[in-house]
Amino acid sequence: MNETFVNKWKSQVKKGTLTFVVLNVLRENKFYGYEFIEEIKKLTEIEIAEGTFYPLMNRLKKEELVSSEWVEQESGIPRKYYVLTETGKETLIQMQSYWEDLSKSIKKISK
Amino acid sequence: MKIKEIEFKETASKRIYNSYIKRVRKVIKSLPHQDQIEVLLEFNSHIYEGLQRQKSETEIDNLLDVLDKLGIPEEVLKPLVADKKLEQATKTFNPLHIIKALMLNITNGISYLIFFFLYLFLFGFVYLIFAKLVNPNEVGLFFQNGSFVVIGKLSSEIRSIAVFTEVLGNWFIPVMLLSIIVFYFMITYLLKLKRILNKK
Repeated sequence: MNETFVNKWKSQVKKGTLTFVVLNVLRENKFYGYEFIEEIKKLTEIEIAEGTFYPLMNRLKKEELVSSEWVEQESGIPRKYYVLTETGKETLIQMQSYWEDLSKSIKKISK
Repeated sequence: MKIKEIEFKETASKRIYNSYIKRVRKVIKSLPHQDQIEVLLEFNSHIYEGLQRQKSETEIDNLLDVLDKLGIPEEVLKPLVADKKLEQATKTFNPLHIIKALMLNITNGISYLIFFFLYLFLFGFVYLIFAKLVNPNEVGLFFQNGSFVVIGKLSSEIRSIAVFTEVLGNWFIPVMLLSIIVFYFMITYLLKLKRILNKK
């Protein structure tokens, strides 16, 4: 009934799980910025703004969960590819196990 | 800085692109060279890739769509510039970088304002040095009966009432200079610690 409340809650959930989503999308791939944003949208229907995406990637790089590398292109305009680091992969496994526990508990109480 | 410019068919598109890149350059001007290149390359790459797949009718619409989504350079780059500047300032201990970094971060919390006043407090020592030069007999570090009383000026009238001993003598100015340096490094080190804690 209370639509604004639900919408607010939805955007909070999205915000809170964004890192988890981003790391999962990157799990077995490497993407450059523009492609990465497209891929997230394609897979999850989450539209992440450039102004959110790039600062998030910088933070993940600082935390050493993600690394990046410039790759020269024929166009002469290089792409910056992002990949998960070993720490990133390990962190993601921990996040996944927490996520599973959480969703089990939620299923139990919400039936 | 050699960054390959994107080519356009229409001069109007080229002009919009140039002006956008110029704004980006201006916002990041105060950053270390390597960070500037990184930001420019990433913006340029994003614009280029966006143009490759846009479906609008005209080139100029495509470009405007991409740039609108990227946002206003002055706004989207502000947090990055503020943080990078702080990183550079606390790494180099360069006072000019520190002033700039504090100015950029002043809206990011009361603690930066406190740091600003801590640095300002260093000018107290500078003032004392000048005071000593102007008034060598009345300015100093005064003790009475073995305990600290005042650092600064005691007029001869007061000194005639009770016995105050100036303990530094000719060392006053060197000690003040040393204090400035020591406090400067201490405050800057605290600032560095604060930035690291922010990240956690």
